[in-house]
Amino acid sequence: MCGIIGCAGRDGDTLDVLVEGLSKLEYRGYDSAGVALSGADLDVCKCAGKIADLRSAVENRDLAGSVGIGHTRWSTHGPPTDENAHPHLDCTGDVAVVHNGIIENYQSLRDELATAGHRFKSDTDTEVVPHLIEDALADGADPESAVREAVGRLDGSYAVAVVVAGVDTVFAARNDSPLVLGLGEDAYYLASDVPAFRDHTDRVVYIDDGEFARIDGDGWTVSDESGAVVEKPVDTVEWDPEETGKSGYDHFMLKEIHEQPRALRQCLQGRVDELGGQVDIGDLGTLNPVAVQFVACGTSYHAALYGAEMFREVGIPAQAFLASEYATSPPPIGDAFVVGVTQSGETADTLSALREAGRRGARTLAVTNVVGSTAARECDHVLYIRAGPEIGVAASKTFASQQAALNLLSLATTNVTDGREIIAALRDLPGDIQEILDDSRAREIAKRYRDADAYFFIGRGYNYPVALEGALKMKEITYEHAEGFAAGELKHGPLALVTENTPVFAVVTGDDERATKTVGNVKEVEARDAPVVAVTDGESDVERYADHVLEIPAQHPRTTAVTANVQLQLVAYHTAALLGRSIDKPRHLAKSVTVE
Amino acid sequence: MSVRTAVVLAAGEGTRLRPLTRNRPKPMLPAANRPILEHVFDALIAAGMERIVVVVGYKHDRVQEYFGPRYRDVPLTYVMQEKQLGSGHALLQARSAVDEPAVVLNGDRLIEAEMIHDVIAAFTDHDGTAALSVVERPDTRQYGAVSLRNGEIVEIVEKPDTDEYRLINGGVYAFDPGIFAAIADTPRQEGELALTDTIARLVERERVRGVKTGGMWVDATYPWDLLTVAREVLARGRTVEPEREPSVWVDENARVHESATLQPPVVVGPDCEVGPGTVVGPDAALGRNVTVGANTTVSRSVLDADTRADAGSTLLDTVTGQDVRIGAGSVVPGGRAEVCIDGRMFDDQHLGAVLADRVRADGCVSFAPGSLVGPSAHLHTGVHVSGQIDEGVEVVR
Repeated sequence: MCGIIGCAGRDGDTLDVLVEGLSKLEYRGYDSAGVALSGADLDVCKCAGKIADLRSAVENRDLAGSVGIGHTRWSTHGPPTDENAHPHLDCTGDVAVVHNGIIENYQSLRDELATAGHRFKSDTDTEVVPHLIEDALADGADPESAVREAVGRLDGSYAVAVVVAGVDTVFAARNDSPLVLGLGEDAYYLASDVPAFRDHTDRVVYIDDGEFARIDGDGWTVSDESGAVVEKPVDTVEWDPEETGKSGYDHFMLKEIHEQPRALRQCLQGRVDELGGQVDIGDLGTLNPVAVQFVACGTSYHAALYGAEMFREVGIPAQAFLASEYATSPPPIGDAFVVGVTQSGETADTLSALREAGRRGARTLAVTNVVGSTAARECDHVLYIRAGPEIGVAASKTFASQQAALNLLSLATTNVTDGREIIAALRDLPGDIQEILDDSRAREIAKRYRDADAYFFIGRGYNYPVALEGALKMKEITYEHAEGFAAGELKHGPLALVTENTPVFAVVTGDDERATKTVGNVKEVEARDAPVVAVTDGESDVERYADHVLEIPAQHPRTTAVTANVQLQLVAYHTAALLGRSIDKPRHLAKSVTVE
Repeated sequence: MSVRTAVVLAAGEGTRLRPLTRNRPKPMLPAANRPILEHVFDALIAAGMERIVVVVGYKHDRVQEYFGPRYRDVPLTYVMQEKQLGSGHALLQARSAVDEPAVVLNGDRLIEAEMIHDVIAAFTDHDGTAALSVVERPDTRQYGAVSLRNGEIVEIVEKPDTDEYRLINGGVYAFDPGIFAAIADTPRQEGELALTDTIARLVERERVRGVKTGGMWVDATYPWDLLTVAREVLARGRTVEPEREPSVWVDENARVHESATLQPPVVVGPDCEVGPGTVVGPDAALGRNVTVGANTTVSRSVLDADTRADAGSTLLDTVTGQDVRIGAGSVVPGGRAEVCIDGRMFDDQHLGAVLADRVRADGCVSFAPGSLVGPSAHLHTGVHVSGQIDEGVEVVR
């Protein structure tokens, strides 16, 4: 889990471009970072810590070179230390490598290289790569062939970038980890993600698995494993780099919570026709699935649970699977349509599950936020959630946009119900969420229960995934113990954990059987002296049994599951803020998990 | 010397516009179907500004969320005025963000780019430390009156009680960075720092240029003024939506049924839906994501974002806040009325009704001319509303 960057052709500011680019990739990992610049010699600076620490470390160094590479790391092999930070060097110090991914056969390669006399300085899998290149160079290969030879020996996932002393070229290769080129005026870039160089250019080339790329001051080339040049399309990206600024908010997460009305407008724009009761998401409307299997991880998995419920509601068998389980223990797929929900489109577990489904002949769909991401390109179909970039590691607006997009998917692919009522409710979402943002009492709740022993969340039906997501948000950013349960499950075990110091957040909307039964579960909790916070639209009588109420507007059950979640986001945010946590970059977590 | 930086004061609530300011500051209220502040930014950009510092305070989230870090490629820097202690105090908050000459103006008044141009020219040509715009008004008693001699301000008086003045302070200034020290040195009046107090001190000591300008200079003081503002904006075509027919502006992401009639001037914002048989206009502005059901009439009205008017409603001379729901068959017949606000009577105002954010009118609700309904009030089916309804009140038959 890491971010890599490279650039060539900059006029004297290579170092600044690399460090600034890395700061835009910090969401991919931030426990150590480093850069290598190649001129006549190779200069390397790396350290444990955030990009800010690297910035101070390079201040006292005179690093120069016309080309360079950089890395921001999230540890997989070896703890975050200066030694384990990338770039990694060979024995001569003339070859520097940055890498994102996992090299599965690194132990055998390392043993072989060590036996041959190579000295290793780190615990990382990556370090085998510069030593392999060193051997190939020693055998007389030119730098590009040496890189090819070394990469050819790797099993696993990687995006690697390489510089060699005295050579003004950056070499790169990709397999199962993202890599994109940026084409500027007289300068060229490569990175794990577009924001790294978006300040300099909006013209990009996405590298595919098995391809090699090289950039220098004069241009770029992409080639396949045999070395034949590949003609690649040049795309233009639209995201405004400044959109990644915090625009006055204390945290990106709070900004992104407040952006939800806007994100939902973008998601729905041009796709819904309330008066006509129609949804238009292009050719996806003609899919008519007989069964649906969702694969996803983390917050996206909760959106997938919500999506599966919508299909089941109209009589289409649908299930949500944890992608990491699905990839290694896949269920029978039959005629099911397989939908991967992944914000980044680069989540390694979800990509594995989708590939497994593809191998078994299933049609696949990616529901993602990132245009041109691996999931978007590898699946048969793609549905963009259009939330705009999300920087906070804990997903907020993208969950709401996933919920809305999955509503569109279910409406467009199943012609069972009149869509008018749901479309009206979806169109009301921006206003409904704004109401919560204006009036929420979540901060008071957070203040009152910031010292609780644990936080529990319960809900049924569409509100069950909301309970899970509420708990996940609380865990991620407060580091406190939190669990979400299907409301009916409480009495089958977890009730033993409930005390007067464990507030229970009950999501209760509407006044149907699900609401009535959840109110029954609330009474069980109340009888055990736990404080109850009801998140409710006021339709049921849950307020009578609750100690506190977080109100949401009464609406269709599908959209109250979106608005209820906003209240829980705010509770988690304010609790974390009161506890002084690192909200945008929680410990041990990274934004898009590109390792399995 | 050119001026490329502007400071926009957008921290005040605008209490006289209550109840519309319950959830956002006055600069975010709609001028037709875009916030007043957006029109101010447009004028600044037309006048060549390359950086805009926005002083925010009351409900600042709304400003920051709406505009984000830049507007039309011009970077926005937000500075916070925690307590609203006057216009001078507001400008002082921008001190750390500005170390160059800058244009200063209010974020709640619609003006022309020429006014900004003229003030900058007066400032740079005469090498002054300050320049301000001057506007001619028949009655100056509600404003800051000024006297101008040979392009120089010789006197500035807040709300004079005589009618001998003909000119007022237009509220657009250009200053050198010395203004911050001058504000800091100005004695506070009842804890507040008014920018005009500082200017009055400058007038006594050094040259302050004044420049007379014309053109649009529109301000909303009371809620019904938003109808006048919308009319000005539409008359001048200050819209961003494509012009489908003369003075009919419709966003490309709006859906207007083929049997609906749009009477110019009218603007329909993004994501709107307008049902069959419905008439919208003249002088009507629909904000983002507004829904107008079948056979509904909306004329001389401003419906702000996310508002719904269901089938068979009639809305004349109506101002709604955001996310207002007007049930089927509701009627605002419009016309002239006596409006009472904060114990003050305003005779003969052209006002159908003002419905603040998230008012819910279930259906067949009728509104007497001049009704003011507070935020989130719930009007049950069939009620007749008149006068002032407070926030959150339930009205039943």
